[in-house]
Amino acid sequence: MELVKLFNAFPGAISQGLVWGLMAIGVYITYRILDVADLTVDGSMATGGAVAAVMITSGIDPWVAVLCAFLVGLLAGLMTGLFHTAMGIPAILSGILTQLALYSINLRIMGGKANTAVNVSKYHVLITSRNVRALSLENPICLLLVLTAVLILALHFFFGTEYGCALRATGANQNMARAQGINTRFGTVVGLMLSNGIVSFSGAMLTQYQGFADVQMARGAIVIGLAAVIIGEVVFGKLFRSFWGKLICVSLGAVIYYLVMQIVLWLGLNTNDLKMLTALVVAVFLAVPYWKGLAVQKKIRKRGV
Amino acid sequence: MKKILSIIVALCMCLACISGTAAEDKNYTVGVLQLIQHVALDAATQGFVDALTEKLGADHVTFDIQNASGDSANCTTIANGFVSANVDLIMANATPALQACAAATVDIPILGTSVTDYATALDIDNWNGSTGLNISGTCDLAPMQGQADMLHELFPDAAKVGLLYCSAEPNSLYQVNVITEYLTAYGYECKPFAFADSNDLASVTQNACDECDVLYVPTDNTAASYTETIANVTIPAGKPVVAGEEGICKGCGVATLSISYYDLGYATGLMAYEVLVNGADVSTLPVETAPNAVKEYNADMCATLGITVPEDYVAIQ
Repeated sequence: MELVKLFNAFPGAISQGLVWGLMAIGVYITYRILDVADLTVDGSMATGGAVAAVMITSGIDPWVAVLCAFLVGLLAGLMTGLFHTAMGIPAILSGILTQLALYSINLRIMGGKANTAVNVSKYHVLITSRNVRALSLENPICLLLVLTAVLILALHFFFGTEYGCALRATGANQNMARAQGINTRFGTVVGLMLSNGIVSFSGAMLTQYQGFADVQMARGAIVIGLAAVIIGEVVFGKLFRSFWGKLICVSLGAVIYYLVMQIVLWLGLNTNDLKMLTALVVAVFLAVPYWKGLAVQKKIRKRGV
Repeated sequence: MKKILSIIVALCMCLACISGTAAEDKNYTVGVLQLIQHVALDAATQGFVDALTEKLGADHVTFDIQNASGDSANCTTIANGFVSANVDLIMANATPALQACAAATVDIPILGTSVTDYATALDIDNWNGSTGLNISGTCDLAPMQGQADMLHELFPDAAKVGLLYCSAEPNSLYQVNVITEYLTAYGYECKPFAFADSNDLASVTQNACDECDVLYVPTDNTAASYTETIANVTIPAGKPVVAGEEGICKGCGVATLSISYYDLGYATGLMAYEVLVNGADVSTLPVETAPNAVKEYNADMCATLGITVPEDYVAIQ
């Protein structure tokens, strides 16, 4: 009967994973495509949440709120991009600087309050954790699946265009890309903007899902995003080779992350150790590709080439 | 594939039946979701557990105590776990914990504690003392008028009061706004000093000491964690701090009119008993405030700063 509890908890874990999967797709753009570790996301996710919370509670349609969150996220990415390209600050530091600035900006957005509640019974929201076990279209999983699919298709289309290919080339080999006449600095800015727009959009969805926005809500988000990217690659990497397939992997990676979390909680482990367990899970998934590589090298050495 | 699926579904149903019958004896399951490891919140949880264990007996109640380690995403995961386990009652300790639980269920009764303002936390208009939702609980709002009176009693000649609080804490700003009103009525000039985290706390405190005669720190979880940092600035500057609660006063304050978080948790436990056993309707159950407040002072700090307090103050142990 204990197992029933776990099964019951799965829909919640899956929908939470799907929300973070959207965010992880944003992280994938910077971390994998642009080859930049962008720490802006810890701030821009909360920015999306703040924008959505303030707009929804003032009676604006949630779709408009989510769109605005995306646009504001683009601006956050622009800020990091300008720090990095126009001011020559290393990417990691640029991200950290923007993240710091966003703390104050997020407080300003929410009118100085650290926490804004979005009462599900009072406002029209797109998704809520309340309906997670509902057997209807109101179930957040439905809309999240649709949104994930639309996002992946849009990105697949974008990165297939001439400019998208140039962006991918920028991440793959900057010098080579520059030699081809690609403006890599502009490309990096565009990539950072797109990534943070998506992250901010997922923050807007998360706020509706959990029923509040908080200035601290995305603290450590980058860890979850990276974990999702890496778990997805390690577990499903073999199944999907195409670009859109890889984005699906990332989303599935986030779902797995939250399923593991739910299992850890279900096992009754002390929640004080939660952060350490999270770190260990991510470390193991990071190490697996490395160990695989080592094993392959050993084989080659033994056999001789 | 379909066969396997149907077998799994059938198995789940069987298991659900077993769990259904097992719930017949009166053993209540209570989920406790605490936002972060923190002295005051720990005390509230302990008070809640003690009260309910005392009332029901240890054999009749099982606690599932989970700590989100300060991460609101964890709050949602844990709340989801409670709802799927279909616990009899959820106790949510601190504002984001309560919000995550409120978003997760409309059926399971939720009792909050260590929440300062339910109307803001749950976004309820026309607050009339109860939520009208599946939520009630206890409110940790310190007696603000009493604290303003105390500040006036101890420092009648001060001109300017600095209000030091953490900008990440939703409840602190609320308290600062409330006490500003009361202090202004006494003729003090008030100025808020917000800090973001431990890194800028020392400089913000220094700034406040330079500008003001007395500092006031509300019930602020972040400030409570870094009282030493505050004390290291205020003692050399010779500026007294009036604190919103005992923990902060113990670290850096001279005096406080404090509520006990243990008592607050205990009161929440008694409410839980009413809901579980006596069938009280949680939506009309009024939100309770702290049972009683005590005037306390920090003897060491008062000696250091050369302040004498009236006789009716109790020294903090």
